[in-house]
Amino acid sequence: MNGFLAVDAQGVTKTYGSVRAVDDISVRVAAGEVYGVLGPNGAGKTTFLRMLLGLIRPDTGTIRMFGKTWEDSGVGVLDGVAGFIESPRFYPYLTGRANLEGLALLDGGTPTGLLEEVLDVVEMSDRADQKVGGYSYGMRQRLGVAASLLREPRLLILDEPANGLDPAGIRDMRALVKRLSGRGLTVLLSSHDMEEVEEICDNVTIMTRGTVAFHGTIAHLRTMAPDPGHVLATTDDVRALRLAEDQVGITVARDPGAALVVTGPPPEVSSYVGSLVRADIGLLAFTPTRTPLEALFFMLTDDATHQFLDRSAQPQDALR
Amino acid sequence: MTTIQTTSASTIRHDHVARRRPGLLAALRWELRKLRAQYRARVVLLIAVLAPVFIVVVIQGQSRPPKDTLFGRFAIDNGFALSLLVLGFASQWVLPLLTAIVAGDVFASEDQHGTWKTVLTRSTSRSRLFWAKTVTACGFATLVLVLLAVSTVASSWVIVGHQPLIGLSGQSIPAGHALQLVAASWALMLPPILAFTCLAILLSVWSRNPAVGIAAPVVIGMVMQLVGALGGVEAIRPFLVTTSFETWHGLLAEPRFSGPLVEGLLVSAGWCVVSLAAAFILFRRRDITGG
Ligand SMILES: Nc1ncnc2c1ncn2[C@@H]1O[C@H](COP(=O)(O)OP(=O)(O)O)[C@@H](O)[C@H]1O
Ligand SMILES: [Mg+2]
Repeated sequence: MNGFLAVDAQGVTKTYGSVRAVDDISVRVAAGEVYGVLGPNGAGKTTFLRMLLGLIRPDTGTIRMFGKTWEDSGVGVLDGVAGFIESPRFYPYLTGRANLEGLALLDGGTPTGLLEEVLDVVEMSDRADQKVGGYSYGMRQRLGVAASLLREPRLLILDEPANGLDPAGIRDMRALVKRLSGRGLTVLLSSHDMEEVEEICDNVTIMTRGTVAFHGTIAHLRTMAPDPGHVLATTDDVRALRLAEDQVGITVARDPGAALVVTGPPPEVSSYVGSLVRADIGLLAFTPTRTPLEALFFMLTDDATHQFLDRSAQPQDALR
Repeated sequence: MTTIQTTSASTIRHDHVARRRPGLLAALRWELRKLRAQYRARVVLLIAVLAPVFIVVVIQGQSRPPKDTLFGRFAIDNGFALSLLVLGFASQWVLPLLTAIVAGDVFASEDQHGTWKTVLTRSTSRSRLFWAKTVTACGFATLVLVLLAVSTVASSWVIVGHQPLIGLSGQSIPAGHALQLVAASWALMLPPILAFTCLAILLSVWSRNPAVGIAAPVVIGMVMQLVGALGGVEAIRPFLVTTSFETWHGLLAEPRFSGPLVEGLLVSAGWCVVSLAAAFILFRRRDITGG
């Protein structure tokens, strides 16, 4: 049997002037999975996805999609592939429907009824005859998904599809991705939100500054996650810090916001909190910092703007 | 090097059902549909039809003819002369402007709307899109010229009349023959107009900015007219596109001369080929990073 990966990118590099936007990245996406490319802003996600869609040419490396490359198949490499980069763009002076009809022409035609069907999937049927210029951001995003589905893709490439959407829009978009993957579609999406990737992806590549910081399954990622951290506010932080020195298995650090951050497995944290109460130290606040996976994400991507929160997960910064 | 192995080694069967590859015609239909939906294209066509009628009426209403201009002397009482007067005027900057309104925009508007990433991720190759846009722009230029010519000649004929025309060598040209010569003169505008169209396409591709794509060809045209009017530029004058705008003079002289006509055709063709080749290479190679 002649089998191919949906995406097989090997050693891909792209430089803009002196900026290495993507630096020797390899990504393999098997058919049928939902694959996440996760990274902070500027990590190179968009650049990578643009190369997959042939909008920019890699400096080095090879990209195969379903076994084909740009070099040997030209635009035919996009057969079975659809998606959009950043927010989808359309002709504002045409209606949503006219835009899709035009794109269908550039696809070599579409089966009858498909256009109505994809409009229906993204719940845009009743707005399709209005000009795109009057669409909201979320409507354009949904039209973008419709335009992609019009190609009847086997692989859907989405670049931060939830960006700029309100919470309801984000929920709808995630539900849509899950529904599509349930139909057997391979989805490759980028995101800067660990929670999103955790919710909808099977496998993930974490990128930072153009390079790969992690790749593997979400399950594997969970085992690497640090202990959960909590922000602690007490009536006497000095004594609370001193008490922490006697506690095994936890770290307590003071963050720049002057609160304490306690990190450790739940039983030890619970025992520490008990000791504070017994020592007559008042507990003013006890709130989770971020999920362990988020903490791991920031550790892996070493995002300077999040340094202080990361202290909860970085032993070298903690008091003993 | 970093490699991402997915845990599931599953791959899919590659069913060789390639998409139907859309031809040039499909891309052309899409360009035409967009053009039809654009207000400004319709306005240009409307101007091409109405402006000559207006100009003919105004000139005919003058008490003194514009004597300093070619064929100006006879313009208020000879329809053919008036047609040629309008032709001379249109070739100054009107024709380059009217064609550039579409040709200078046809590529750059995709940059303006950020839609390159939308159209270039379908099943039509960059070269097909390039030719579809180029054919659209050239077709539009031809249509504008035809409308302008027909409207000018017809309104001059009807409003001013169709007496025999006095040629450039003072010869009298009978009405029937004069009509043919006037039509041929207008037709000779096509090569330089197409050269300006291709130049506008190049500027549109290069600048990625519709304003540059539309204004720059007009400015370049004016500069060429100026340079052509200077003394001591005999060596470069034949290579200016604007020189081709004057090749029709040869038709109305006695005896006729066609040397500049052939030269003009070749020069216009040269400008077209060079502009399109440069535009094609730029377009094929460029990274689509915007939108
Ligand atoms: N067109 C461009 N010109 C120059 N630098 C660019 C361009 N596009 C992206 N970059 C740079 O490349 C890096 C990666 O950008 P990008 O791929 O957009 O990251 P992400 O999508 O992960 O936010 C950034 O440093 C960005 O500034
Ligand atoms: Mg991005």
